[in-house]
Formats: sequence, C-alpha cells, structure tokens
Amino acid sequence: MTEKEKKTVVETSGTAQKDPRRTDAMRKTQRIEAIMEIVRIVAGMAIAYIVALLILVAISDDPVFIVKQFILGPFSSPRRIGSIVNLAVPFTLCGLSMCFMYAVNKFNLIGESIFMLSGCIITWVALAIGQNMPAIILIPLLLIVGAIVGAVLSFIPAIMDRKLNANVVVVSLMLNSVIAQLAIYILRYYMKDPGISFIGSYELPKQIQFATLFGKMRIGAGVIIALIAVVIVSIIFFKTAFGWKMRIVGSNPKFATAVGLSTLGISFAAQLAGGALAGVAGATEIMNSYKRFQWTASTGHGFDGLLVAVLAKKNPVLVPIGALFLAYVRIGADVVNTSGDIPYEFISVIQGIIILLVAAESFLSGFKNRLIYRSVQADKAKKSA
Amino acid sequence: MSIDIVAFIADAIKMSTPLVFAALAALMTRQAGMFNMGVEGMILCSALGAVTGAHYLGNVWAGVACGILTGLLTGFVIAFAHLSGKTDLYLTCIAFNLAATGGTVFIMYLLTGEKSTTSGAFRSYQIPNINIPIIKDIPILGRIISGQSLLTYVAVFCVWFVWFLLKRTRVGLRIRSVGENPKAAESVGISVKKIGYIAFLFCGLFAGLSGTFLSMSWVTFFMKNMVNGRGYIGLSAQNMANGNPVGSALVSLLFGATSSLSLTLKSQSNFPTEFLEMIPYLATIIAIVFTSLYSIHRKRKIEQGIK
Amino acid sequence: MAEEVLRMQGITKIYPNGFMANRNITFGIGQNEIHALVGENGAGKTTLMKILFGMEDCQEGKIFINGKEEKIANPLDAIAKGVGMVHQHFMLLPSLSVAENVTLGVEPMKNGLFDYNTAVKETQEIADKYNFKVDATAKVSTLSVGQMQKVEILKALIKGAKILILDEPTAVLTPQETEELFEQLFKLRDSGVSVIFISHKLEEVMRICSKVTVLRRGECMGTYDTKDLDESKISRLMVGRDVILKIEKEDPQPKEAILEIKDLHRYNSFGKAVIDGVSFTVHSGEVVGIAGVEGNGQSELSEVLAGLSEFASGDVILNGKSIKGLSVRQIRDNGMAYIAEDRMVEGVSGDMSIEMNIMADRFTKPNYKTGLFVDAKKIRKETEELIQEFEILCDGPEQPVRMLSGGNIQKVVVAREFTSGANFILANQPTRGIDVGTAEMIRKTIVRKSREEGTCTILISADLNEVLECSDRLLVMRKGKVVAAFPKANEVSEDTLGEYMLGLKSMTPEQMEGLL
Repeated sequence: MTEKEKKTVVETSGTAQKDPRRTDAMRKTQRIEAIMEIVRIVAGMAIAYIVALLILVAISDDPVFIVKQFILGPFSSPRRIGSIVNLAVPFTLCGLSMCFMYAVNKFNLIGESIFMLSGCIITWVALAIGQNMPAIILIPLLLIVGAIVGAVLSFIPAIMDRKLNANVVVVSLMLNSVIAQLAIYILRYYMKDPGISFIGSYELPKQIQFATLFGKMRIGAGVIIALIAVVIVSIIFFKTAFGWKMRIVGSNPKFATAVGLSTLGISFAAQLAGGALAGVAGATEIMNSYKRFQWTASTGHGFDGLLVAVLAKKNPVLVPIGALFLAYVRIGADVVNTSGDIPYEFISVIQGIIILLVAAESFLSGFKNRLIYRSVQADKAKKSA
Repeated sequence: MSIDIVAFIADAIKMSTPLVFAALAALMTRQAGMFNMGVEGMILCSALGAVTGAHYLGNVWAGVACGILTGLLTGFVIAFAHLSGKTDLYLTCIAFNLAATGGTVFIMYLLTGEKSTTSGAFRSYQIPNINIPIIKDIPILGRIISGQSLLTYVAVFCVWFVWFLLKRTRVGLRIRSVGENPKAAESVGISVKKIGYIAFLFCGLFAGLSGTFLSMSWVTFFMKNMVNGRGYIGLSAQNMANGNPVGSALVSLLFGATSSLSLTLKSQSNFPTEFLEMIPYLATIIAIVFTSLYSIHRKRKIEQGIK
Repeated sequence: MAEEVLRMQGITKIYPNGFMANRNITFGIGQNEIHALVGENGAGKTTLMKILFGMEDCQEGKIFINGKEEKIANPLDAIAKGVGMVHQHFMLLPSLSVAENVTLGVEPMKNGLFDYNTAVKETQEIADKYNFKVDATAKVSTLSVGQMQKVEILKALIKGAKILILDEPTAVLTPQETEELFEQLFKLRDSGVSVIFISHKLEEVMRICSKVTVLRRGECMGTYDTKDLDESKISRLMVGRDVILKIEKEDPQPKEAILEIKDLHRYNSFGKAVIDGVSFTVHSGEVVGIAGVEGNGQSELSEVLAGLSEFASGDVILNGKSIKGLSVRQIRDNGMAYIAEDRMVEGVSGDMSIEMNIMADRFTKPNYKTGLFVDAKKIRKETEELIQEFEILCDGPEQPVRMLSGGNIQKVVVAREFTSGANFILANQPTRGIDVGTAEMIRKTIVRKSREEGTCTILISADLNEVLECSDRLLVMRKGKVVAAFPKANEVSEDTLGEYMLGLKSMTPEQMEGLL
C-alpha cells in the first residue's frame, strides 16, 4: 500500500463519518439536562416551601393569618426587607466559603466555628487597638484578621486530610466543638462587659459598627463586602488557573492527578481559601449586625453556607440568589415566631428537605429521561420521514 | 482534690454505653459500604422519641420501644433518601442532622411548650440499674461491673450479636459482600438496595438504643442537642477499629473514659469549664491523628517491601 | 432445528445521555447451541446482554424464554428464569472463599444460619460434574485469572442457569486456558445449556459456535449459520468493510535511549511484589509492546512510569533524569505523555467540557496564562484546532465529554496526549472498547510519531493483534517480571506468545540479553 492509500483508509474509516446514532438528539439532550437542572432546584425549593406551609396550617390555631405572615411578612415593612438583605450577607459569604470546599468535594464544615471564633477575635483586636483608629484602616485590618483566623483554623482539618487522609467531615465537626468552647472562653475571661445583663463583650468602636446604607431599610455596609466577594470568587472560579484546577480536581480527582495537577495541594489550598472566607464572613457579620460579640453557642452559619452552596450548585454567581431565598424563608419563620405560636426551629426541617430534594439525583430523573427519550424518538421519526 | 478511681471507672463504662451503641450503628452501615454520619441525628431523634413514648404511654418499656422505633424510622428516612433518592450520602446525613437538631426542638415545643428540656413537662422514667448477685459483693469489681444500667449490659450483648450476625448468618454474609463489591453482589441477584435498607435498619436499632440510654438512663429527660457529637465519636471509634465490633467497643470505652474524666474534673477542680468540655473532642481528634499515622506508616513499610 | 429457548424481540435502549445503544434488535437462540454475538466494541453487545440479565432496562422490546413472554426487571428475575451471566470484569469478592462466592445469593442454610460446610460440598459437586478443577475452600484472592473465571461460571450453574451469557470470556485468558474453557463449554452444551458467546475473536467464533448474530452500531445485521460464513464475511458484516489487520510500517531506527528502567520493584498493600525486578530500555524512534495476561504487573508498571505511584527500589530514568520522588507535573514536563487504561477514570473528567479536558495538562503553563488568569482566547482557538485535527465529533468545545461516544472520548484523550510535546508516550490499552476507525487512527499515529518525530513509546495492550502489529520490540510480563523479549513483534506467533504469557516457558536473562 502506498503512503497515500494508507491515508485514505484513515479518512474513510468510521471516524470521519457521522455516527447516525448521535446528532441533533445529543444537542437536545444537553439542553434538556440544563433546563431540568434549574427545574429541579426550583421544584425542590417549591416543594419544601409547600411543606412549610402545610406544617404551619397543621399546627396553627389561625392558619390563614400565619400562612399570610409567613409568605408576605418578610415584605411587610422596609425594615423587614432590609433584614432579609442583611441576613443574606453572612449567608452569601458562608455560601462562597462552602463553594470552595464543595468545589473540591470536601465537606469541610470547619466554617461553622471559624465564623464564631473570627467574630470573637476581631472584636478582641478592635477593642485592644482600634478605639482611635479610622474606619478606613480598621475595617480592612479586621477583615484581614478574620481571614487569617479562618485560614489558620481550616489548616488543621485540611492538613489532616492531606497528610493523614483523615475523614475531614468528622475532624471538622469535632474541631467545631473545641473551637466554640475556645471562643466562649475568650469572651468570658478576656472581654466580658460586667456592666450588661447578658454575657457579651464591651461595645465595639463606633466607627466600625457599619452605618446603614438605605435609611429605613437599615441595610448595613456588609452588603458591599458580600457583593465584592461574589465578584472576586466568581473571577477566581471561572477565569483563573486556580479556579480551573479546583473544578477539575473536584469533578475527577484521579484524572486531575494523571494530567499533572497536584490534587492534594489544590484541595488543601481550596480549603484554606474557604476557611479564610468564612473568617471574613464572621468579621463582617459582627461589624454589620452587632454592637458587641455576644455569641455563646455556635451560630449554624457554616451549615447555612453549605445549604446555600448546594442550592447554587457550587456556582458562586448563583450564591447570592440562594442566600436571599434562605434569608427570606428565615425572616418568614421569624415573623411567624413573633406574631404567632410557631417556634422558629421548624425552619430547620424545611432546610433539610430542600438540601435533600436539590441533591437527590433521582428526584425528577424519571421525568428527565422521558423527555430525553421522547426527543430522541422524535428525532428518529423525523429522519425516517 | 481527690478522685475516686473506682467511681471513675464505673462512670467511664456508663459514659461509653451510648458510644458503643453509636459505634455499632455506624459499623452496620459501614459493613455495607456506607459511611453514615447521620448516626448523630438518629440518636438525637431516638432520645426524644423515648421520653415522649414513656410519657404518653406511661411505661418505661414503652419508652424503650418508642426510642428503638424512632431509630428504625430515622434509619429508614436516610436510607430512602440515599438509596432510593440517590442523594450523596454525606449531604443526606448533614441535612438530616441539621433537620434533627432543629426538628427535635420544634417537636419538643409542640408537645411541651418548652424549648430546652422536657424535664419539667414530661414525667421522668429511668431504665432500671441491675445489681448482679454475688458479683455485686466483690469489693472493687462489684462497684464497677454490677449496678450499671440494663442497657449497658444490652450493649455488651449487642457487641457479640453484631459479630455473630456478620460472621455466621446469611444476611451478615450478604451485608459484607455488598460492602466489599456491590456489583458482584448485584450480579448474583442480591439487591444492594435491599441490603442497604437492612443495614440501615440495624443501624437504626442501635442508634435507637443509644438515644434511649441518653434520655432514660444517663439522665431522665430530653434536652436540646443532648447527643453533643457522641454519634460522630462512635463513628470515629468504629473507623479506628476498622469495622471490628469488639475493637469498636474497646475504643468507645476509651472515649467514654475521657468524657468521664471531663465530668470528674468539672466537679473536682476550678479549671475553666470550657477547656474541660473540649476533652472528649480533642481526644477523638488526637486518636484519629495517631491511628492515621500508624496505618500510613504500616502501609508504607509494606509497600517498601519490608515485612 | 433445535427448539428456541430465548427470543429477544425489537429491543431498543436509549441511555439517559441520549445515546441509542440498541435499535430494534431481534434475535433468538436454540437449545444445545453455542450462539455467538459479535460486533465491534461499542456495537451494543454488552448492553443487549445486560438487558437480558436485568441489569439495564429498555424502552421497547420483549423477551421470550421458552416461548413465554417474560419481564426481567433485575438479575434476580433473570436468575429465576434460568439466565446466568459471566461478566467481562469479574464480579467476585476476593476476601471470601470460592464456596462463599459461588453460593452467594443461594446460600445453603441450617437452623437459620449460613451453612458453610454444605456450601463447600455443593460447590465441589457441581465443579466435579463439569470437570472444573477448583478448590472450593480456597480464598478467591489466591486464584489465577482462569480459575476466577471458572468460579464465575460455577456461580451461574449453581443457580440452575439454562442460558449462559459469556461476555468476552477469552479476553483475559491465555490460549491454553482458552482451550480448556472451550472443552467445558462443549460439555455444558451437551448437557442442555445454551451458551451466548460474546466475542470479537472471529476464529474462536468459527470454531465453537453454530450460529452467529452480528451487531453493528446498535443494530442487528442478522443471524447466520457459521457454516455459511467465513471470517472475512463476518468482519464485513461487523464493520461494513474489510478489517485491515496489518499495519504497514518501516523498520524502526532506534536512536538514543530515552527511558531506562533499572531493577524496578513495587509491592502492593499485602506486601506482595507486583513489579519484581523489571529492567529494560526504550529508545527514540521505537515502539515497545508489553504483552501479558492482565494483572501481571502491567498496570502497576504504567502507574509507576506515569508518576501515579511510588516504587520501592530500583530506578526509572527519563531523558537522563530519575523520576523518583518527582510529581506527575515534573515527569510530564520531562517529556512523558500518558494514555490511561481506563479513560473515564484517568483519561477525562466526564462532566467537564471538551476544552477543559484537552487543555487540562497545559493551561497552567505560562504561555496559556496572562498573570493569574487563563488565556481564554488562545485556549479556545487551540481547542477548536485540535477538535478539527482529531476529527472529534461534537457540538463544540463546551460540550461535556460524557456526552460523546467512547471513540470520541478517546480522541479527546489522544488530542491532549499526542500534542503535549512529549518524547515518551505511555499508552496503556489505548484502543480498548472503541470503534475500529478511531483505533486505527490511534495505532497509526503512535507508529507515525515514532518514525517521524522519534518519540519512544511503551504500548501495553491485552489485544494481542495490536501489540503484535504495532510494536517493534515485544516484551512479555508475568508475575511482575519480564519473562520474554522478542526483537521483532510481528514475527511472533500468538501461540508462542501464549506459552510465555501462561508461564509454560520463560527466557533466561542470557536469552533476553540485548533485547531489554
């Protein structure tokens, strides 16, 4: 066979021909998958919301009033709308933090206690050196301190994951219990204000108690920090080499290793970045919503962050939307808690349902497969006609 | 300060009972190839289920039954989400534990109007302690071995039972086969899903016993978030023992001793309580570090050809 | 004609990703028949059999067993209806004994407990009946591949299988073990078991099967009596053209040594030596093939060379530099490219785009970055060029890789590995399970790169045709050692190769001198 003939063989073989089994149908399949992904999230939230309403109806003496309060209550006054936005600030930051962990498939939950200890440490720093420091210096300084606290703390489970292959979920949960106690200890022994009736620190310097942005809504300046963080994290995820690396490591670690990415190093770095962000979240929350540090128990923000990251499907751009939804439901629960006889805690059940429905692969998968099957069939019919 | 060593050991055994149950619960799902962090929430729900059952049915044994039933039910819920709903198990468990933390408070509030404990509203029932004849009269040993809660003895029996179940019964063989190679099990007609459910129900049984012990033996009421990481500690215990029931029980005993130490120090010294509270968790982390280091070291040695 | 025991009627299967694996397939088999199901890799044979065995569901079609329509929802159903399947990849539990593996699912019971002694007895009985020589009490992890396959067949027989599906049973066997298997299949056939024999080794099909059903791209091309066919006819039905088995290539001109492996040792987690003193050198411009029954250290060797695992002692020198302690990144920068054995595990990330997969090894390099950011424009342009060059059938660079067919996924892998600028290509099973056209393109590119660009290549393959035709020099691995070396691969016969693979023969170091 001559050189030329050999070449022809390659070109006329199966590769160059269009495979009749895969054509437009593939493209449609991709579209159906994308649409169904959104449908699933929305349906998951809707079902959970309906369950919430049913619970309210079942246990309330005045169901109509309570349901109305739950749905519309959060919008009933500018102040409440402002509360939604303010509540969404830590949710956004914690959600971004968990996006880093979740992107490399590590359910490192240390963010929970980082949030608390970071709030504690920045309060201590602000009280110690910040009394006469201008806000323009003090605020960035405290955010950096928070980030350092976060990175240092998440170093522990991350290094155990990297070097010892220890289960990062268990280690981070155990550490959470330890660190929460540490924060309480610091509060009680180093900065407790004896002049108030509850356990809390001395009041923070006035210049870092975030001023309101929109008068009546009382939205704090934390919103700006959260939005900047969303932009930065999105750029990191989609435009930088580090973001690409993280996404490859998260989607198939063995592949990442085989093409020469340092899987362990990248997931370690992502966990540190996530920890730092949780630290920023804690610092921002203290300045945005409090006058003093007064947390004597873990706040649950780390878990809220996970919920937001799951809702946003690890996509930082969608994190604020997930955070606002969560904040809306929480404020709704708060409203019915104060205006009726419904305890606030019922919302945690609803949150569990949301995570499960959004994460459940088989939820609506039968429906999706039928859609795909139908589109392939239609395609086949069109071709034979 | 003076520490009564005998009381300390007896206390350690008592404190390790819920951990042993928790470890066995996690062990059952692990043998079927599933890392179940939901044990924590399952125990919490069972603890509430037990006191509620006892209060409304007016009987301590009805309480035990309700605790176990709650455990089975919660096991079923997680199994359903994971096996039938195909949800990531980690996420399922985290979501479940979150829901359990808030959900128990919610239900407690609906039943009693209280948000922190049922001690005021519910009658308290206690599972009897057993004095073993003869042994109870032996000087030191008697105070340690005898006079423990009935459930502590049940825990000892369960350790043997799990060993027997896994090694000698058909369902045990199938659970192990699913854990080792689910595809192989599937190919001979064993339903991996069904075995998964069975493993989760056994897990629920032990989680139920653990919760029941907490709310009807350790104390006699339900308290918000009373499990406090014991599920995770039990999970780590069986992990360190590589899924061996006896080993898991021994590691649990060790962790029970740290809890007991923390309690003893709290009453005997004026060390800041915050640091004493940390002891069981720190002990777990340190134990994880050492067992991981050991297994890495051993693996490396074997792979370098040094036997 | 023998009575028809099985008929599959109008089977259509569409996977959730929209891939139509089976299109309206109809075929039937008779009693006492060994019936071949042939087709290229990816033609839908395994899918069809998984449907029969209840491991996959189908959208359309009916299954008749002994003339009666049956719904088979899961393997349990299939087993109850007398269907047994021996999978391509063994479904065994290594830590359990043969008897436990065989009786799993139909465990004998005594007093409500598992009765191990009866299990051993039952296993031994059925093994003796069909003349299978296995020890029922042995642990499966200690068996050879051929014995494991017997355990697999026993598993089906003990459950009373009347229709036995064998999915590429000879792929992992040596020629001698294959002979033994055929004897046992004849015995089974004569005792009333119908066998469905999936293979793409046509000479085997011609020898032992009375009928052949041919699949091509998910469609059935018909059922024929083997006596009416010959091998070239079947292959034309399979691929629609004559298969070119010969690869035309000039003689190699080996130049300087690029890869030197020196007395390499590696142990697994049980302390067993999986690479046991391997030494050989590969030069610029030559392709060295490594043959061997799977599981004799080839995968472990390729992991070491790719930097994916450490080794205990010895050394590997690539382009003059030891790879000991180097990261995968450093080894790749030193000239290594790696086509992984299992492409979905190490070759691609299914959920990521074609672009990220092709660029995965290079987007971190300075010329693909501007500062901290990736150079999106350059990356897009190069990806599109590579999609063109390697004729990857897709909707564009952003399509997730998992939506492509096996062959196109492998093209994504080679588009990356062949263009990375490496002078050492490590190809582990580069054409497994893909269409003939892509396989041919990959084989030819490997040869062309060695001739034109002087790359050095290690080709590990279970496809004997492939190692014999593509390689210049050929080595055989057994139990972690190189047991034979041949200067010219295309002059080695399959039978000779089989004897070395099975361990009937091995060469002394003196015989192999100068060939390593």
